[in-house]
Formats: sequence, C-alpha cells, structure tokens
Amino acid sequence: MVKAGNACLLKLEGVSKTYRGGSTKAVDSLSLEVRPGEIFGFLGPNGAGKTTTIKMIVGLLMPDNGRIIVDGHDIVKDPVSAKMRMGFVPDDPNLYNRLTGLEYLNLVADIYGVSAAERTRRINDLLSMFDLTSEVKDLIQSYSHGMKQKLALTGALLHNPPLFILDEPMVGLDPRSSRLFKDLMRSHCDQGYAVFFSTHILEVAERLCDRVGIIDKGKLIACGSMDELRKLSNETDESLEDIFLELTLPEEAD
Amino acid sequence: MKGRLLSLILAQLNMNFAISHSRYYYLEKRQRLWEGILIVVSIIMTALVLSFGVYKLACAFYSQAAIINQEALTLTTGILAAQFLMLILGVALVIAVFYFSNDLPVLIPLPLRPWEVLASKFAVILCNEYLGLLVFITPIFVAYGMRADVSLISYALSAIIVFLTLPVIPIAIASILSVILMRVVGFTKRKDILTIIGGFLLTGLIIGVQLYLQTKLPARGDEQEFIMQMLSQANSLVAVMGRQFPPSIWATWAVSEAGTSMGLLSLCLFLGVGAVSFGLFLALGDRFFYQGVLSGFEAPTSRRGALVDKQGRHGFSKRTPLLSLAVTEMKLFSRTPVFVLNGFIGFLMFPVMFVVLLVMGNDPQMAGLWDSLATMPEFHSIGALLVAAYFFMLTAFSGIPFSPFSREGKANIWFLRSQPISGHAAAMGKALAAEIMIVAGAIPGLAVFEYIARLPIASLIIGVSLGIASSCALCIWGVLLDMARPMLDWTDQQRAIKSNLNTVIGMLIGMVALFLIGYLVYVLFRRGYSGLVAQVISGAIIALILGSGLRVLRVAGDKLWSRVEL
Ligand SMILES: Nc1ncnc2c1ncn2[C@@H]1O[C@H](COP(=O)(O)OP(=O)(O)OP(=O)(O)O)[C@@H](O)[C@H]1O
Ligand SMILES: [Mg+2]
Repeated sequence: MVKAGNACLLKLEGVSKTYRGGSTKAVDSLSLEVRPGEIFGFLGPNGAGKTTTIKMIVGLLMPDNGRIIVDGHDIVKDPVSAKMRMGFVPDDPNLYNRLTGLEYLNLVADIYGVSAAERTRRINDLLSMFDLTSEVKDLIQSYSHGMKQKLALTGALLHNPPLFILDEPMVGLDPRSSRLFKDLMRSHCDQGYAVFFSTHILEVAERLCDRVGIIDKGKLIACGSMDELRKLSNETDESLEDIFLELTLPEEAD
Repeated sequence: MKGRLLSLILAQLNMNFAISHSRYYYLEKRQRLWEGILIVVSIIMTALVLSFGVYKLACAFYSQAAIINQEALTLTTGILAAQFLMLILGVALVIAVFYFSNDLPVLIPLPLRPWEVLASKFAVILCNEYLGLLVFITPIFVAYGMRADVSLISYALSAIIVFLTLPVIPIAIASILSVILMRVVGFTKRKDILTIIGGFLLTGLIIGVQLYLQTKLPARGDEQEFIMQMLSQANSLVAVMGRQFPPSIWATWAVSEAGTSMGLLSLCLFLGVGAVSFGLFLALGDRFFYQGVLSGFEAPTSRRGALVDKQGRHGFSKRTPLLSLAVTEMKLFSRTPVFVLNGFIGFLMFPVMFVVLLVMGNDPQMAGLWDSLATMPEFHSIGALLVAAYFFMLTAFSGIPFSPFSREGKANIWFLRSQPISGHAAAMGKALAAEIMIVAGAIPGLAVFEYIARLPIASLIIGVSLGIASSCALCIWGVLLDMARPMLDWTDQQRAIKSNLNTVIGMLIGMVALFLIGYLVYVLFRRGYSGLVAQVISGAIIALILGSGLRVLRVAGDKLWSRVEL
C-alpha cells in the first residue's frame, strides 16, 4: 500500500497555526518526518501544541502556513485521499452514543470501503484481542471510557492504514490492553507502516519509540532517536525524563 | 454574596445565550465581528417585520371585533394562541432541557436541591419564551392599547405583568406532565423509545383536550339565539373562548380592565394560578426529577454474546459510503428522543389538522362548500399543488434539514470531519437521510388528505413528485446552510434542532418561498391559465432551486466542509 519512492509516510513542512482570535501561535513552523516502519513519539508539556498538530495532520484544523503530506497526498489539497491512508483516534474519543459498537464499526468500514470478508476477519480479530466481542452489540452509551477507546482503536485499524495517528492513546487502557496495544503498534510498523502518537508517559516513549519529537510552546525543540537526543544533552546515560525536563524548563527558571 | 440560586440561573442564562462566548469572540477578539453584527441586525429586522405584521393583523381583528362589541377578543385570541402553542411545544422542550442537557453530570454532583436545578432550567426556558412572545404578543397589546379606551399607566403595568407571567402556566403544566412521564419511563428498560412515545402521547393529549373543549361550545341548533345573546353583552365571547383555558380570560381581563377592581381581581387570579402551578411543579420535581435523570444515565446492555458470523452475515454487509452515512444518520436521529419529539411533531400535527378538517367536513354547510370546491374544473390541479405545498411545509417546519451538522455537536463532529469523506458526500448523506425521513413522515397526512380530497391517481403522482422535488431542494439548501455555519456548541439537543438559528432561517425562507410560489400560482389561475401551466411553471421553479443547490454544493461543498473546525 505504501507508495514506492516515498521516503516518508508523514511529512510536515513549516506548519504554523494560530487559533482564530488567538494571539500566540499554538504551533510555530513545525517540520518533521515520519518514515515507514517507525513509531514516532510526540512529547511536550500541557498546552505545547501536540493536539493542535495532530488535528492539522488528520484534517480537523487548517494550517495557516506550511504543508502536510500523508503518504504523498496533501491533506489540504486532497483531503479524502490523505485521510484514506490514515487511522486516527483522538484523546477523548466521543463516539456516537446511540449506535451499537457493531454499527459504528460497519459505518467506518463502509466509509473506507473495506470488503465484507475483510471486515469480518479484522473486526473479529481486533475485538477478541481487546476482549470486546460480547459488548459489541450494545449501545456505545453503555461503554466505559476504556471500552470506547478500544472501539475507536478498532475502528481506526479496520482498513489497515499505512499511518496510524493517536493522541494520548494509553490514558484509558488497562495494563493488559495497554500491553496488547503496544504489541499491535509494533507489528503494524513491521509491515512497513508507521505510528505517530502523543503521550505524557515517558517510559513508554523511551522503550517503544524509534524516534521522538519534543514540542514546547509550538516549536519543535528536539527530534531524533534516543541516542541522538542523549548526544544533544552531552550525557550518555540520561533518561528521556531527564532530557525532557531539561529541555522544557519554564521561562522563569532560565 | 449572590444567592446560589441566582448565580445558578445567571450561569445557565449565560450558557444559553452564549453571552461570554459571543463577547469573547466578537468583542475581545474582534474576529468575524461583521458576521455577528449581520446576524444581530437581520434577527432584529425580521423580528420587526414580523411584529409589524402581527400588529396590522391585530388592528384589523380589533376593527372586526368592535363591530360586534367584542374588542377584548383581540387579546384573548392572542393570549390563547400563545399559551396553547407554548403548551403543545412545551412537552418536547421541557423534556430536552430538563432531562437531556449536557450539564447534568456537572450539576447533579453539586450540593443543590433538585428543585433548584429545575428552577434554574425553568428560568432559561421562560427567557427563551419571552423572546418569541416579544414578537407575537407585544404588538397585540400595543394594538389594543392604542385603540381601546385605557389609562396608559395601569394598562402598561398590567400588560407587562401579564406578559411576564404568560409562559409560566403552560410551561409549568408541560413540566408537571413531563416530570411524571419521565419518572414512569425511568422504571422501564427501553427508555428512549418510551420517552418518544410518551412525549407524543402527552402532546396528543393536550391537543385532544383542546379540541374536546372546543366542541363544548353551544350546540348547533341554538346558534342563532346564542349569538344574539352574545351580541347583547360586551366582550362576552371572551368568556366563551376562554372556556378552553380559563387563565386566558383572566389574563385578558387583567389587561383590558386594567385599573378597575375587576382587572385587579383577574390579575390576582392569573398570578395565583401561575404561582400554584409553578409551586406544584417544583414540589413534584423536587421529589421525582433526579430519579428520572439518573435512570436516564443507565443505558440498556444485553451482552448478546459472541460475534458468531464467520460467513459475513449479521450486519457485515457492505454498503456504499453515501448509503451508510444516510442510514447511520437516520438511526442516530430516530434513537434520540429530543430530535424525534421536535422534528416529527409536524408529521403528526398536520394529519390531526386534516382530521379536524374532515370532521368539520361532515357539517352540511361545510360539505356543501367542499362539494362546490371539488367540482371546480381546476380542483385536481389545485389539489396536486396543495400536496406539493404540504411536503414543502413539512420540510420547512421539521427543522431536520437545517440542523444535521449542528446536531452532531462539538462532541461528535470530529468523527465525520476526520473520515475520508468529501464535503459533497457528507452533505449528500445528510440531505438524503433528511429527505427519506420527511417523505416517510409525510405519508400519514397524505393518506388523510387523499381520503378527504379523493384526487385522481395522476394528480396525486404529480403532486407527490412536485412535493418531493421541492422538499429535496429545501433539504439541499438547508444542509448547505448548516454546513456553512453549524451550531456545534450546545448544552441541550433542543438548541441544536429547534432553537438553532439555522432552523429559524430555514423556516422563514421556506415560508417566503411558499408564499411567492403560491402567489404566482394564484395569479396564473386568475389570468385564466390552466392548472397544467401552473404545475409546469412551479415545477420549473422548483427544478431551478434544486439544480442551483446541487451546483453550489458541488462547487463550494468541500470548501465549506474544511472550514468546519473544532
Ligand atoms: N480550540 C481552541 N481554541 C483556541 N485555542 C486553543 C484551542 N485548543 C487549544 N488551544 C491553545 O493552543 C495551544 C496548544 O494546545 P494543544 O491542545 O495543542 O496542547 P497539547 O500539547 O495537546 O496539550 P495537552 O498535553 O494538555 O493535551 C494552547 O495554548 C491552547 O490554549
Ligand atoms: Mg492534547
């Protein structure tokens, strides 16, 4: 599915965004790349601009400047093709309360044009993995937070998207689901696909991510593999937490 | 320190009228200021035009009533109509605001008594009703005050007091009924569907009681004598009219007899009934409100077991995206009680109106009129045009096509916006769903109409085709309007569908369009053109509106869609 010759699945070039009426830039000329086979962790303090960036990538917000290319398709110029190549789960997945889980999954599968046979297989696999099979015919209204999140993850993975975008995916998951999910991200990337996710859990980012980017006040202040980041701070055995805290010092403390 | 009830009410009003929100966006940030100004100016203009129309109507009515010495009937008619409208629409409104607000999970954990929460929500409803009354009742009071011989001060004072009390009784009655209904529904498992059925039954009950009281008017035989008796006594018709709803007599006399002891007594009675019904509602509400709300938070679960369909059956069939979107939209709409109660009420009210027409048609005099109408040479083509107008009216008044994106709300709109759906496809899915629901909803009324009018099948087909086309046209333009400026930020679903400015705009545009086409048809008939000509010309106009809507959607749809940000 990944187009040959595309060196990266996601490419941001000088992306900026000021919220309507806002005075400061929520995201300030941000550039980064996510390559095939890579899990990319997106870190930063509260209000740094992570969610804003993700919303622009998935087409929920229009960037003021810059370009966002998803697997060769510009999200602004050709949103439908770009979105076809992504799966997205927001930080607080509010799903249609008055649909059943199964109706929701069928809607998503119809929108992405997943064949009946393929969706049967994938829905069965993903639901039994998340242990959601027995609830899937209930209204989403009756789901717990984590169950909604698992359903959203299932929906976003139905069409096996080359690029998987997640905003703080680990927040509502129990330890078992969280582990399963991390394994899933890994195997997704082993197909040559990529995952881009934001998180505050630095241990996870450190162990799981091939590369991380740290954003603060809208600007990307560091980006690279763990080794590259360590080189940045001239100390060899620092944890990601130390690096993060060092790089994102509040202004007064300078 | 502000009383906590007062600050609760103020906070609710702030949310309801988006005061902080508008101040932030339009004044502090100065963004899209022109849009805010434009909206405010056009609302005021429309309100003024409507008020002026009502004023003119009231003046004409007054002159007619004065001939038979029944001037105060002007007031009674207005008051009665307003109270009944508030009562009929009240059930859906109250259920939405009391039981389906987003802020309930925030309010209930606060250390407040149930009646305090109810009182604050009641205040919000009253304020919304005042806006409507300002346009429809004030001109009537003004018209009466200018014509009748009243002393200004006491008249104005009583008028203001009556104005402020006017919505209390109908909304309190609707609230009492709804609180009881929701408590009963709370005991059951299928709450959504029972809320819908119960809400419609209550509304039907209210309309039925009104119709029943109307038939209690004097029997046909004594009519002549009765009228003579009426005419000999000033304003006695008020008493007869008011028999349907006694508080409306008191309200009338409180205003028309302002300054006299009779006026004062009526005012006291009116206020007293208002206070009693409000008190009763608070007492009942304090007892039952939270139980109803809390049971509403519990969704039914069945845990129907494993997903055994390895053969791709059991809902695993593939649909086209457009169809899938439309089907989902219909499911979501029909499973949301507030949407159904508000959107489908016209589907029931029109057939009921036709049935009333039918009952009246049994009257020999009416039957004669009907027969002479039915033998008119152009009756069939007029009938077909009426059928078309019926579809168009239903579409305009349902609010369904003007709110599909607003109804998604802040919470859900991210889903559609992040899916690989073009703006064109999203709008078409919404419009298709709206159209299917409206056509299905039109069937009962159409059946009653056909039973009365007995149009030949050819005319019926022409009428239905014109009707569906005109309804499609309105749906497309409505969906476009809502996509251009969706109202996503609401606390109760009522605001998304009925109190949505887009719905109001759509209704007005629909009314104006219907009037213009109707007038054109009238002129054509007057000039002696055949019914066929009228049909072809209105068909052409409808096609033009539909075609241009589709064209605009194709050109601008994707752009509008990408502007829906969150
Ligand atoms: N809808 C909005 N309107 C206006 N400003 C916004 C909006 N959403 C976010 N912002 C602002 O944009 C900036 C970045 O917010 P964003 O939500 O992207 O942060 P984040 O990195 O996701 O933070 P968190 O870790 O808390 O989720 C903040 O200053 C915030 O105030
Ligand atoms: Mg965030």
